[in-house]
Amino acid sequence: MRRPNSLTLRLILAAGLWTAFALVLVGFALSFLFRQTVERSFDARLNVLLESLIVSAEYDRKQGVYLSGPLAEPRFEQPYSGWYWQITPRKGTVMISRSLWDRELRQDLSVPAPQPHQYYAVGPDDQEIRVIERDIIFPDAEASVRFAVAAVTTENKQQVTRFVRVIAITLGLMGLGLLGAVVVQVRYGLRPLRGLQRELERVRSGSADQLEGRYPDEIAPVVSELNQLIEHNAEVLARARTHVGNLAHALKTPLSVLMNESAADQSTLGVSIKRQLDVMRRLVDHYLVRARTAAAGQVIGTRTPVSVAVGSLKSTLEKIYASRDISIVVDGGERLSFRGERQDFDEMLGNLMDNACKWAKSVVHVTITRQDGQLVLHVEDDGPGIGDEQREAVFGRGQRLDEATPGSGLGLSIVRDISGLYGGGITLGRSELGGLQAVLTLPAAGDSGA
Amino acid sequence: MRALVVEDDPDLIRQLSETLRTEGYAVDQATDGEEASYLGEVEPYDVVVLDLGLPVLDGVSVLKHWRAKGRTMPVLILTARGQWSEKVAGFDAGADDYLTKPFQMEELLARIRALIRRAAGHASPVIRCGPVEVDTSSATVTVNGESIKLTGHEYKLLSYMIHHTNKIVSRTELTEHIYDQDFDRDSNTIEVFVGRLRKKLGVDVIKTVRGLGYRMEPDGEAS
Repeated sequence: MRRPNSLTLRLILAAGLWTAFALVLVGFALSFLFRQTVERSFDARLNVLLESLIVSAEYDRKQGVYLSGPLAEPRFEQPYSGWYWQITPRKGTVMISRSLWDRELRQDLSVPAPQPHQYYAVGPDDQEIRVIERDIIFPDAEASVRFAVAAVTTENKQQVTRFVRVIAITLGLMGLGLLGAVVVQVRYGLRPLRGLQRELERVRSGSADQLEGRYPDEIAPVVSELNQLIEHNAEVLARARTHVGNLAHALKTPLSVLMNESAADQSTLGVSIKRQLDVMRRLVDHYLVRARTAAAGQVIGTRTPVSVAVGSLKSTLEKIYASRDISIVVDGGERLSFRGERQDFDEMLGNLMDNACKWAKSVVHVTITRQDGQLVLHVEDDGPGIGDEQREAVFGRGQRLDEATPGSGLGLSIVRDISGLYGGGITLGRSELGGLQAVLTLPAAGDSGA
Repeated sequence: MRALVVEDDPDLIRQLSETLRTEGYAVDQATDGEEASYLGEVEPYDVVVLDLGLPVLDGVSVLKHWRAKGRTMPVLILTARGQWSEKVAGFDAGADDYLTKPFQMEELLARIRALIRRAAGHASPVIRCGPVEVDTSSATVTVNGESIKLTGHEYKLLSYMIHHTNKIVSRTELTEHIYDQDFDRDSNTIEVFVGRLRKKLGVDVIKTVRGLGYRMEPDGEAS
């Protein structure tokens, strides 16, 4: 079995053990102190009784010790009341309280007691009693007389028991309260860690690129280190992608040279070079698209004003298709923004508009609306369109329905990949103009400046 | 027609120049942005093929510089970068066309011809001036439907003048647009070529404007 390994558990366990130990200690100390206090006040009472017993005792040579009057305490008169006195001369008869009836307190006269001294003993009823005794020497008496007063301790014990019970309950409740407080404290104290975990999750899922928020001084350095690590990781990744992109781009010039050089060569060598060049060109295109899609949607919090980007694309395409006399009409899009990067937007809409221009007879229509926080872009043309059954096929990599129309054929699949990364999508349908209608859905940025 | 080819790869610039020369263009070369920027500013080109990734000064900056200086010659960008954002940036800088490497020479030539035609205001690849017809895509000349054989220089001369029909073209202008930078220019040779061209065409479409140069006019048939 795995040992439970949790900070919460550790902290609660440590605090719980320490609290329990402290509370038990406090409980013992309190009950000890209380017992002592009860004992002292009991002793004081017994001492008062002993004093009054001594004061009321008289002595003469013939009679020995005798009492001049009865004691004020009535419990000395009831048999076995639990309250007793006894006067024990070294010589002569022992005097006892009526309550002792036919018993005597066992006394050890060999130990002198010039000062009052207390001890516990067993009484006539086999009950525990507290005895206080003192030796008195009367004037003109030969030997000392021991005076003793005793009382049962039952009441004291009950008091102590009651006190201990109350203390136990109080401290127990206090312990539970403290434990609860510790749990709350631990959870509160560790809350930043849970926040950190959530932030890390967001970073991993790609919805954040840094750990956000303020963290306590203890974990702030960790967070800052993590952020640097994330940043470093992103940099390494970006550098690798840039390298792939640069490599692919750098290969294009040599490819052009070789293609031109071998174009007219009909020998076996020329033909195989041309075939291999074609393979290389396709690989380069493929990896460029991969690098492009991988880099898309990475920067959080950027926004692209739609009308500016669409305007640039429109004038670009008008120049590219200047000889074809195609009119590009743009509707809407003012004050709308795409939540993402300009180059991704250009890539998606550029490909769609370029496709439309390629196939259009005379008109390409771009309509931009905002629906439920989404940017919806319709790109339509009045060309031949695509049959229903072929629409899914055009998304395939390198798929071209008409090999004669120039283009890498990667256009629609990259649009689908990039829009997918932004949580959007693309669907194809039939346009009212007669040709293809592409509907691109993308996240819109809020209207306010954020 | 005079073309400037800007490209830093020695093999590619050689291929481009050779192909263009074969097609009858006078070709100047520049292998870095600074040289290109200077040539494009001072020489009257009919078309420029511009690579974007250039040493010293990048292609987009060169293009912006030309446009800022009021140079309006058609510019075709030839680049490895095929992203839309890069295309948009190129066109925003003032490009007229954009071709992504690797490319087919035929396509490049077709686009250059189209650019030159458009710059001169002609929509079709076949340019007509009275009985004279020049098919720029195949570089063939016919007069009244009969094909005529011209030398390279004669074709260059006719092609330039027919692109600028009804406009006065000076001898200097012809020299500048027919010969490349390194050619030893002598305006007398232009007169010799014009004389030969008139003889071969057999129709009087090339008028001499005294003291100014030549003008091609479609009413030559009548005279």
